[in-house]
Amino acid sequence: MLIRILKNSFLKRPKPVLLVLLSIVMGSAVATAFLGISGEISHKMALELRSYGANIVLEPAAGEAGGTLRSEDLPKLKTIFWKHNIVGFAPYLFGVAEFSAPAGRERGVVAGTWFGRPMQVEGEPDSIQGITVTAPWWELSGRWPETPDEAVVGASLAGRLKLSAGSKIVAAAAGKSRTFQVVGIASTGGFEEEQLFAPLAEVQQLLDKPGELSRVLVSALTVPMDDFGRKDPAAMTKEEYEKWYCTAYVTSVARGVEEVMAGSRAKPIWQIASAEGQLLEKLNSLMLLLTVLALGSAASAVSSSLMASMAKRSAEIALMKTMGADRFQIAAVFLGETALISLLGGVLGYLAGDRLALFISRAVFDSAVASPLWLFPTALAAAFAVALAGSAAPLKRALAVEPVRVLKG
Amino acid sequence: MTGRSWLPHIVFRALAHRKGRTLLLLAVLTMASSLATALGIVSSSMGERVARETRKYGANLVIVPESARVEVGSGGLRFGTIGEPAFLGEGDLLAAVGRSGIKADFSFHLKGVLALKGVEIPCEGVDFARVRRLSPWWQLRGGWPAGNGALIGSDLAARRSLKVGDRLELAGGKGVLQLRVDGIVSTGGDEDGLLFLDLGELQRHMERPGQVSLARLLVDAGGTGLKGKAAALQPLLSGARVKELRQVGRTSEELLAKVQLLMMLVTAVVLMCAGSSVAGTMGATVLERGKEIGLMKAMGGTRWDLLRIFSAEALLLGVAGGVSGYLCGSLIAGFVAWSVFSSPAEPAPWFFLVALGVSLLLALAGSLGPLLSVFRLDPVLSLRGE
Repeated sequence: MLIRILKNSFLKRPKPVLLVLLSIVMGSAVATAFLGISGEISHKMALELRSYGANIVLEPAAGEAGGTLRSEDLPKLKTIFWKHNIVGFAPYLFGVAEFSAPAGRERGVVAGTWFGRPMQVEGEPDSIQGITVTAPWWELSGRWPETPDEAVVGASLAGRLKLSAGSKIVAAAAGKSRTFQVVGIASTGGFEEEQLFAPLAEVQQLLDKPGELSRVLVSALTVPMDDFGRKDPAAMTKEEYEKWYCTAYVTSVARGVEEVMAGSRAKPIWQIASAEGQLLEKLNSLMLLLTVLALGSAASAVSSSLMASMAKRSAEIALMKTMGADRFQIAAVFLGETALISLLGGVLGYLAGDRLALFISRAVFDSAVASPLWLFPTALAAAFAVALAGSAAPLKRALAVEPVRVLKG
Repeated sequence: MTGRSWLPHIVFRALAHRKGRTLLLLAVLTMASSLATALGIVSSSMGERVARETRKYGANLVIVPESARVEVGSGGLRFGTIGEPAFLGEGDLLAAVGRSGIKADFSFHLKGVLALKGVEIPCEGVDFARVRRLSPWWQLRGGWPAGNGALIGSDLAARRSLKVGDRLELAGGKGVLQLRVDGIVSTGGDEDGLLFLDLGELQRHMERPGQVSLARLLVDAGGTGLKGKAAALQPLLSGARVKELRQVGRTSEELLAKVQLLMMLVTAVVLMCAGSSVAGTMGATVLERGKEIGLMKAMGGTRWDLLRIFSAEALLLGVAGGVSGYLCGSLIAGFVAWSVFSSPAEPAPWFFLVALGVSLLLALAGSLGPLLSVFRLDPVLSLRGE
């Protein structure tokens, strides 16, 4: 009997039902889309901010007294406590060399590094390391070196020696010399424009420093610094130290990488690290407020549409009462309607919201976002709850009305 | 129906008679237009606010002498200057920036080498007030220098066992410089290995009055973009090169574009959904006016009269919803701006038109049902109850 009433109620008056359904679908689409992306947005924004470059530098602890880092320690960077926060790293070996090109010769700095090198570490997912990850702002005309005899030259150096893609340059140091083919010219506005960049292994051989490094730049995801993070780790109690070590402050990630690189000292690059923390905090709280705003408006839209549709059915209720229905039967009919509409609307809204979240994520961040699994039942439950909240008040009011009065008009 | 003011009379009485329905419609319209206002205000100011935040990354342009080699050496590795140092004139730089009309925060730097107890130390002469503004990330132990004070980079201080309060005697130019260590600075960059002193002092000591090695600028990249600003400045400086610091400048521009795109999409999605949700609500509410329309037609009302009644209702509700929506929306936008960026939202009076427009549009969309049925309804059928 209940089912028959419900079925007829939908089939006989499709238009108001469809309008309410539309309202619910849109409301839950907004809620789903927002909840779907807001969790991811924080992470994606943090990754965006890594485009500013490395925020930790590893240098030999002995400083000017000599001392180097070892390239055999590099794979260990992918095994530390904070391995999932390390977006990438780039090793460097610097040396002074004599450059000769057809257009002249001069002294300059040769830098050995990795450009976009795949790295496999046992037990960890494969990754790409090198300048393409830690310094994405380089403007390269040409391409990155692919074979050991190719190199990238800084724009100023290239200008003075009249080098272009395809030219050859000879670098000589400590009695040895190597010929490199220039495949790219890099402009950055910084000191890189004065240097020649070649594959690390080649430069290590040229400078007769096998397995040695001058420094390593690390790009890591970190959380904003607060007063606790600024405390001196040496002065902390054991519990405080554990808490500090297990929070991704830039200082604790630096400590983590320092521990695996023998003979190193890690420093946060504050120009990048401090601005990033503040910016990320602001973007996150903005997204949070917008999410609250969107959810609030979705909820009020849905509940108001239910309120609207419930409010004008007092005549129906009065008629049912005179026919002998008690409150519970009437409530069952209307709540049943509400349940069906809101569940259907919730499902459709979830699907639409999922597509919307994917669209936004693709358009802004060029990457997909996967809505978490718990979102589906939550969306349905939320749609039902909000719809119920909307219809509760008018239903109660309508149930309390005297049939005679309503039926008389 | 003739006479003076039957239209407002009917419209007001109709709205007042069904208070509950009217209030619901008003609430829904207010919500939609306040959402449009709030999101619109927040979106439109987002670009500027994020740009202000990215200033904390520091300078985005650098001016160096044409013939100079950027001092090679990165971090704690100093190879010294390979080649002859070259200089720029402070006056020329100021004049060029002034003529170009570019608004910029700038700092001048003079690089030199001084000897402390016989060992050479790389030094930089700067205006400390300007550097403090342009580089807010410098971590200082001690305080900013005053008088003949100096800042020592943390690596340098560790190597030479220097502390805050030490007095230094530096030689290597005109006479001997007496400096007091006022603070120790650490940044993780080149600054950790340098000694900073007042620009004027170093200029006097090196006998290069009014000359600097380079200038760093932080320009507002809006409008023509950073590349455009650099291109505008370059022709005014002969013998110098204006270079974009891509690490800061280009990355900030791209970040800004992404944030603006995100805000725009979010606003569009929310407004579309809220709008159709509200239109649905309105449609459901005003849908069944069949009996009224039938009665009025039977009494002799023309289609035109009926259209005027319903349009007036929609107009009234739309305007009321728009006004209250604008007020609520402005409050919400102000709250968001204050709690996220700690700065008040600028008053945006033209968003009033946006709020009004959204509200009127929704009110009309919702009234479309009865407006259409005005044309199609047969009074006999509707009065009979079908």
